[in-house]
Amino acid sequence: MAMILYHGAPNGPSLIVLAALAETGVDVERRPIDLLAGERHVLPGIGEAVALDMGIEGEGPVLVVDGEAMTDAVFLAQYFDELSDKASLQPSDPYAHWEMMMWCRQITERLSPAAALLGNIEFSQETLGAMSDERFEELAGRIVSADLRSRWEILRDGAVDLAQIVDSRTKVLQAVERCEKQLGDGRKWLMGELTIADLATFAWLAGMERVLPESFRDKPLTTAWLQRVRSRPAVASVLADCGADVATFWAPGPEINRWG
Amino acid sequence: MAQVTLYHWEPNANSGKPMLTLMEKGVEFESHYIDMLQFDQHRPEYLAINPQGTIPAMTHGSRVLVESTAIMEYVNEAFSGPELMPKDARDRWRVRWWMKFMDQWLAPSFSMIGWSVFVGPIVRQRDPAELEAAIERIPLPERRVSWRKAIHGTFSEAEIAESQRRVALGINMLEQELGKREWLASDTYGLADINGFNLAYAIPLSQPSLCNDEKTPNLLRWLRAVYARPAVKKCWALGRTDMVKRVAVLDGEQI
Ligand SMILES: N[C@@H](CCC(=O)N[C@@H](CS)C(=O)NCC(=O)O)C(=O)O
Repeated sequence: MAMILYHGAPNGPSLIVLAALAETGVDVERRPIDLLAGERHVLPGIGEAVALDMGIEGEGPVLVVDGEAMTDAVFLAQYFDELSDKASLQPSDPYAHWEMMMWCRQITERLSPAAALLGNIEFSQETLGAMSDERFEELAGRIVSADLRSRWEILRDGAVDLAQIVDSRTKVLQAVERCEKQLGDGRKWLMGELTIADLATFAWLAGMERVLPESFRDKPLTTAWLQRVRSRPAVASVLADCGADVATFWAPGPEINRWG
Repeated sequence: MAQVTLYHWEPNANSGKPMLTLMEKGVEFESHYIDMLQFDQHRPEYLAINPQGTIPAMTHGSRVLVESTAIMEYVNEAFSGPELMPKDARDRWRVRWWMKFMDQWLAPSFSMIGWSVFVGPIVRQRDPAELEAAIERIPLPERRVSWRKAIHGTFSEAEIAESQRRVALGINMLEQELGKREWLASDTYGLADINGFNLAYAIPLSQPSLCNDEKTPNLLRWLRAVYARPAVKKCWALGRTDMVKRVAVLDGEQI
């Protein structure tokens, strides 16, 4: 069964999946695409596009298996882990597994929309703003999900709500504080053993060191942990593959919670 | 075996997800009803269990668990009884994808509409000063905002319209997905169906023009199939409000 992974530069959701792939050693054909050029919306050979079109992660990697487009980085990482007999990035104990899933859910629900918003404003808005109207309309016109399309439009127009920016900064800081607390007992990885929670948290937080350095001040445990994840051979090889300054690659992500 | 206690409101949405999962697994549990409309979830006794002040929460011996979908997965893994996750890795991915899509995209839209037409109007009858004090006790700031909107009926037209757009689109998506296979995410009944039923059981009643035997035959076939399960009957019998009695719409031969 041939599997093709379309992915962006190793930051955010693409980094989660690439790192999980490198850790598990699953055999997949990798095809880099430019997420900020909207290339995710013109993939060939997709017979089953629900997850591609309606995934709430925004612009993340897409795995194509038998014509079915699979999305959502944490779930793709679980998929690779469950296919592989090598690494085990998920605890087998049900309670430890619950802790990991709960952690990942809170990261994807709270940190990732915040980090994506801030990262995009910092690094992607200019590129989108410089695009001709014609080119942007062509790109946006291919996006099936209306709410994802509107996140692209808002970013391009520089119409991001100030309250959301302020709230996003708070959410990033809260995530760092959460990590600091979790690592407080001297553990090496967030769940004790290395799991998908480390990859997912690292992938969304690493880029924030540049955007919000003050959130990491006096957070020695988190800073050391980020470094520990970064220097794992699997992660380091993924980051080195890209060559460029990976933390500058962003494309519209999940929406900020609209209800409760 | 360690005692299981579930703190839940009605068999509906997030509370109903672990309730039905426990019943499908055949796990005995102590049911601890938290009356959301009386703000039981923000009382100190409950905050001691879940400081976020949201329902549900589950204790298993000395362990405390929150996040309804993650609790469902825990229950499935920690107890014997029927397996509620498919074996195949891609099917498992699909279960997780659909649960997240429902939890984070579709359910909040149903919820916003539900709070504007059901929760708000009931709660709003009470003494305003008492309500304001109750809101002040809510730990999560975003929940304070939600409760204020529900109580004062201050949802914007645009946000309600967006929720309605998502509800209509979501009903279509469920219909199409259920046209592909017997159950929502794989060929076996499981967590995605339990999650989805909690979201969708009353749609034929709340959205009769969008969801009926003619327009959404697959969605109705699936709702009836889940409704026919003994665990569902047992679970919905724990409901105390008229809201969950809406499930009886599924008794109708032609909807
Ligand atoms: N993500 C959580 C959300 C829990 C949640 O928001 N529950 C709602 C009821 S469905 C609640 O507690 N609302 C009352 C409140 O916020 O005061 C889960 O899935 O368990």
